[in-house]
Amino acid sequence: MSAPSIPNLLSLRGASRGGGDRGGRGRSRGRGFGGPGRGAASGSASASALGHDAAIQGTDTDAAVSRLSAVELGYLQDPFASLFVQQAAMPPTRRLPIINRGTYTRTTAIDKVVERFLSQTDAPGQERQIISLGAGTDTRSLRLFSSSSSFQRIIYHEIDFPAICDRKFRTVRGSPQLRSVLSDPVVITPPPVAGAAAVENNNNNNNISINSWHSIQSSTPSGTGTCHLYCHGLDLRTLAQDQDNNQADPNSAATTSSSITIPNLRTHDDNIPTLLISECCLCYLSPHEASASIQWFASRIPHLGIVLYEPIKPDDPFGKMMVSNLAARGISMPTLEAYKQPADQEARLRQAGFNQTRQMTVDTIWDRWVSDEEKERVDGLEGLDEVEEWKLLAGHYIVTWGWRGGGFDLLDT
Amino acid sequence: MVVRKQKICGDIHGQFHDLMELFRVGGDVPDTNYLFMGDFVDRGFYSLESFLLLLCLKVRYPDRMTLIRGNHESRQITTVYGFYDECLRKYGSANVWRYCCDIFDYLALGAIVLGASNTLSPGNDPTTLPAEEDTEIEVCNADGHVMSRFRRQGGRINLIRETQTISPKGAPSSSPPVNGTSSSPSGSAPPAVGAPTNTGPPGSGASGSSGGSVGNPAGAVLCVHGGLSPLIDMVDKIRLLDRKQEVPHEGAMCDLLWSDPDEIDGWGLSPRGAGFLFGADIVKVFNHKNDLSLIARAHQLVMEGFKEMFDASIVTVWSAPNYCYRCGNVAALLELSEDDSGLGIFARSNGDVNRSDGGMGQGAPPRGVLMESDLARKGGGPARRYRVFQAAPQDSRGMPAKKPVADYFL
Ligand SMILES: [Mn+2]
Repeated sequence: MSAPSIPNLLSLRGASRGGGDRGGRGRSRGRGFGGPGRGAASGSASASALGHDAAIQGTDTDAAVSRLSAVELGYLQDPFASLFVQQAAMPPTRRLPIINRGTYTRTTAIDKVVERFLSQTDAPGQERQIISLGAGTDTRSLRLFSSSSSFQRIIYHEIDFPAICDRKFRTVRGSPQLRSVLSDPVVITPPPVAGAAAVENNNNNNNISINSWHSIQSSTPSGTGTCHLYCHGLDLRTLAQDQDNNQADPNSAATTSSSITIPNLRTHDDNIPTLLISECCLCYLSPHEASASIQWFASRIPHLGIVLYEPIKPDDPFGKMMVSNLAARGISMPTLEAYKQPADQEARLRQAGFNQTRQMTVDTIWDRWVSDEEKERVDGLEGLDEVEEWKLLAGHYIVTWGWRGGGFDLLDT
Repeated sequence: MVVRKQKICGDIHGQFHDLMELFRVGGDVPDTNYLFMGDFVDRGFYSLESFLLLLCLKVRYPDRMTLIRGNHESRQITTVYGFYDECLRKYGSANVWRYCCDIFDYLALGAIVLGASNTLSPGNDPTTLPAEEDTEIEVCNADGHVMSRFRRQGGRINLIRETQTISPKGAPSSSPPVNGTSSSPSGSAPPAVGAPTNTGPPGSGASGSSGGSVGNPAGAVLCVHGGLSPLIDMVDKIRLLDRKQEVPHEGAMCDLLWSDPDEIDGWGLSPRGAGFLFGADIVKVFNHKNDLSLIARAHQLVMEGFKEMFDASIVTVWSAPNYCYRCGNVAALLELSEDDSGLGIFARSNGDVNRSDGGMGQGAPPRGVLMESDLARKGGGPARRYRVFQAAPQDSRGMPAKKPVADYFL
């Protein structure tokens, strides 16, 4: 800290005690940083939607840095985590133990659901599909495709903003390490857009082109067992709009009149088991957009499982501070207001047609799903100093999952 | 050690602006005596400023300030939780961190507050309405307004809502605080004071037999960062510990800084991986054996700022509002009143000099002698007053505050 910025404690105290405004200030100020935080929030929210999109895309960087922190400290095994973080001269950001434990718990919990899905659908010749919404720089597909994983016949779709999809394309293309897992990615020419009438409703945007790319698992010899990765540059709000347009037209069957086709997505005709993942993605949409996005897939894929990871409980003191702090960063989570409690999350999935639903908060997942042995290993890495804080933080995040249709079931709590 | 009026504070964790808020709420030093129960550093962005301010106050007013050690006052923990990185960032070298850690080794492991009569005096300020005779706990907000009172009634504590104003007392206390174990970096001699067990104030019935508290209501208050240790059954054994070292991974010293009370019987394993969990039975036996009325400790985040447990035999005080700029909690400090006799009693345990006496005190008693005071209680008042406060408003920050970016799982 440079000399001029070293505080004069006397003047600081004088200022904070200053005469008559003391009582007034006490009355007028909100809790904690609430006032200023909310002020900044409304300012940036009204500034531009583009700013919000950038902030949301920034959360992907945040997640990638957290993942790398957890990997470097030994919480998680992920040889690909470092490839998606810009490594300047600075040493990589090390998160606090509480964040590392959260990253670990959330990642392994979703891994567990995914592995359950894959082992349940593991039959000779049986293809299965995973769709990851807002996948960003997530490495789950790469980990599944790497030689340490034995799962085969996975068709993995990742959907995110075009810019992020494009960045991943270049990362995969440019990394020798990734090329040992994936073949040279190939850009897919988007198929012609169907349902021109529906498109006209969509702000005269006549051509919804999806910049998709495709890559093949290269660690196994190509054949029927090979896994495929498809990345689609697609704003989910467009998908939600598409779903709305379809619903508004009673004469159209959902299968045929869609204006959007996601290349190589297996729908009705193929009828393969599919798992939809949203790891802190749908929460950035409006509740309606989030529901419509889920419905877009649910109306096309009969054998469907879903797993969501989102924050909850915005109304208690921690939750209020979370909303306010994120708002100060230009991030809002509209679904948080719609699905405040664990029961709301389950109800949301039931409403979307999943007849089996389960949920667990992250602190409960740590308690129940992490074995004693693994707990000891993880806690031995850094040690967690503050258990109350962990319960508070991890209690505000929830994994909710559900499924419908035959062929597989997902985990119980 | 004994001070007539003592403000007891919990974790600070580098939240410098909130520490200033604490002093605003609690009163000036040296007009007010403070006892900080450790965890000055880590987590917040101003660990160095916070610790150095407290240290400066300790040096300037050694009798008014008591600092005891928290589990974060440790070389190992500070390298993980931020203080080391902060020093490196601010000075470009680890020297300042190293010097601070050397000071940590001299911090006391605990402190005994004697003469806290377990009743709050109603106060001298004429605007102060006397608290009800049987009020045991009083909770005030940052401006001194009483938010709630808890009354003793048939062993049950009932909540009474009142709105009258309690102003802080103007008269400064004068008794030099001395730790049960030394808190002076220069004082290396082990404390020479006898155990408070034998010399503590006799039960004066200060709070009556129907109190929510158990144990001797006029007994001493033990302040420690974490809690009890299965290796420590008498307070005196704390004095025997060789504390001038890095906090060990196990043993009595570690336990005192790491343990937590919990709703269990006996001792249990701590989820923190250090220290133990201890139940109500442990606390009650310990308090009885050591003639304590209360154990005051910090160490655990409490959303309401404080939490009394086990029939008010132990209290957690948390003084870092909106902890980590994320938790949304309020903070509190605990005010232990002097006894109504007006006689401060204190034990001197080391080479502390009564430098800040300012002519107001009765002077230092002979070293190593524990004096006994007349604890006869005149009026009723709450035994413990909690001042609850919130995070400092950002616009009041007198120094460029780094915009806090709290991490979430995104
Ligand atoms: Mn602590």
